[in-house]
Amino acid sequence: MIRNLPKLAFRNIFRNLRRSALSAVAIAVSAMSIVMLFGLLDGMETDMANNLQSYYTGQVRIRHADFEKYERYNPLHLGVDWNSIEPILTENSDVRAATPRINFPANMYLGEKTHGVMGIGVDFSKEEAFIDFPSVLQEGRLPEAGKNEALMGFALARDMGLTLGGKVTLLSTTATRGSNAITFQIVGLAGFPVAALNANTIWAPLDRVQTFLGMGDQTQEILILLEEGADEKQTAMQIGNEIERELGISTDTRSWKDLNKMYSMLRIAKVAYYFIAMFFFVLGSTVIINTTMMVIFERMREIGTLSALGMQGSELTRLFLLEGFFISVIGSAIGVAIGYIGTYYMGRIGLDFTEALSGIDMEVSSILYPETSVIKSLVIWAYAVVISTLSTFIPSRRASKIQPVEALRYV
Amino acid sequence: MSRKLSLLLIGVLIFALPSMLFALSAEEIIHEMDRLSTFETTYSTGSIQTTDRFGTKTSLFRSWSQGEKDSLIEFTSKAERGQKILRTEGSLYLFYPDAEQLIRMQGAALRQSMLGSDISYEDMTEEKNTLDNYKAKLEGLETFKEKECHVLTLTAKTRSVAYPIQKIWVDTESFLVWKAEYSTAQGRLLKVMEVLETFKSGDRVLPKQSRIEDKMKKDSATLMTVDTFEANPKLDRSIFTLENLTW
Repeated sequence: MIRNLPKLAFRNIFRNLRRSALSAVAIAVSAMSIVMLFGLLDGMETDMANNLQSYYTGQVRIRHADFEKYERYNPLHLGVDWNSIEPILTENSDVRAATPRINFPANMYLGEKTHGVMGIGVDFSKEEAFIDFPSVLQEGRLPEAGKNEALMGFALARDMGLTLGGKVTLLSTTATRGSNAITFQIVGLAGFPVAALNANTIWAPLDRVQTFLGMGDQTQEILILLEEGADEKQTAMQIGNEIERELGISTDTRSWKDLNKMYSMLRIAKVAYYFIAMFFFVLGSTVIINTTMMVIFERMREIGTLSALGMQGSELTRLFLLEGFFISVIGSAIGVAIGYIGTYYMGRIGLDFTEALSGIDMEVSSILYPETSVIKSLVIWAYAVVISTLSTFIPSRRASKIQPVEALRYV
Repeated sequence: MSRKLSLLLIGVLIFALPSMLFALSAEEIIHEMDRLSTFETTYSTGSIQTTDRFGTKTSLFRSWSQGEKDSLIEFTSKAERGQKILRTEGSLYLFYPDAEQLIRMQGAALRQSMLGSDISYEDMTEEKNTLDNYKAKLEGLETFKEKECHVLTLTAKTRSVAYPIQKIWVDTESFLVWKAEYSTAQGRLLKVMEVLETFKSGDRVLPKQSRIEDKMKKDSATLMTVDTFEANPKLDRSIFTLENLTW
């Protein structure tokens, strides 16, 4: 009898196929949702990491040691000297690319209208490893060094009624804590993956921005990309120490993971989602609990007969547990498979969150591409099976407590 | 009433009557204050020294004014060379050498700090027509820096002014404003100005060095010094026009 339990249990799930199918579907929906949710979160994490490294901080960022302390005052006079730091970076074998940048808040004047924007001074010739400008360029060309030309986010240009060839005047605070204004001609319109960059950024040649802001050869920050496999935190520390030793200046040199709270939060959120997934499965398992309970009541005569024939209570519990297990295995497998295929498909076409993310200052792209992972899918499948099977333990135990005499009353 | 007391009252009246008869009203004080600080034309040079949490910086300027409404300031120090501020007929324009467009400052923008100092664009170019914008009330007399001063409270008539309430200490003889406290309508202190040194132009006493503290900023103060001053020079009237701003 004991040896035949799995066979018996498997056969039993076909005795009321519709009910078993309902349980399997509930588990399948839960498993599918979790696979897709994790695929979306993984896609979001990868996307955020790419955007942060390309557009915001690089993998390592160098700034003046006191810049962050006074950041709200826009202390452009607390800059770093690109010309003296570049040789140190060139000598470091872990550094793949480095670029100087200056971010400055500005008021854009268009006739009588004013609009707050973020100006970014970049050396376009050094940005190749960070931002693929030719691919984000929607219209026109890139600004040339030495000229008062700018590249503008397409949404900002659209909102301000600007087209290629148009001119904008920016007013900003300078490194001497005075003010200055400059007129740029729009020579290119860019479609960046991050909505906030399209809505409020103007990119201009570094040398013109340095002159405009009275920064001389100084730059606000230096972004660095590292060679594959280089330890970001360790390299950041090493570069910071090297600069201090060689140039005698203290800098704020940190890895991107230490700089971006949002990214850290996303990673913490992912841990929280594992718990949410557990509740999802428990919720899905309520159907299997309910079904098992009903099956037990329906098969009371059978339970009584089996008990009378000598089947132990623990064997009865295992019988119903095995039934739940088989339904969970099948349901989870179907759910994970559908979830995997769905995630793969969405990863190919992308999910457009342009409307949802408009106006939100978050370093996530408007179009997200969920990521599939075979290992994660298998883990979710196993997770779903374990939770669902354990859920059937409660009603299964009830079967073991039924007295044969009581059960045979149903005969 | 005893004879002695009557004589005393008569005596007091005899001595007090002239001062009562010739006492100036708040409006008359303000009118005189504005008149003495307004010239047909002026030309001056000077400096603005700002000290804040990041250190001290000095900006040099030269300025021209005409009557009570027109003024032009040009910065000559290296960092701001060529930048100009023109105020004419209630409008304020900024000219920057690298900008092809003149920037017109309006409303709240006039209260923005000029060159990071404690002085706003409004302070630097304010029109000398106080009574058009403020209602004055004479609070009394006070001695400030060993000078007898009228203490007046000015309450804004319109919402377009930078400071809803001003308390000023006006010299009873020279009508120079020795001290001013600028506050919000609710009485929150925004700025304090104090004259540290003066100079004479003809029979008028004018501020040579003033200290301005923006109370909204921490550890910040600005010293404005007039180095040279010329009253009523011959000026080409076109220098206060927008067309001329770009020369």
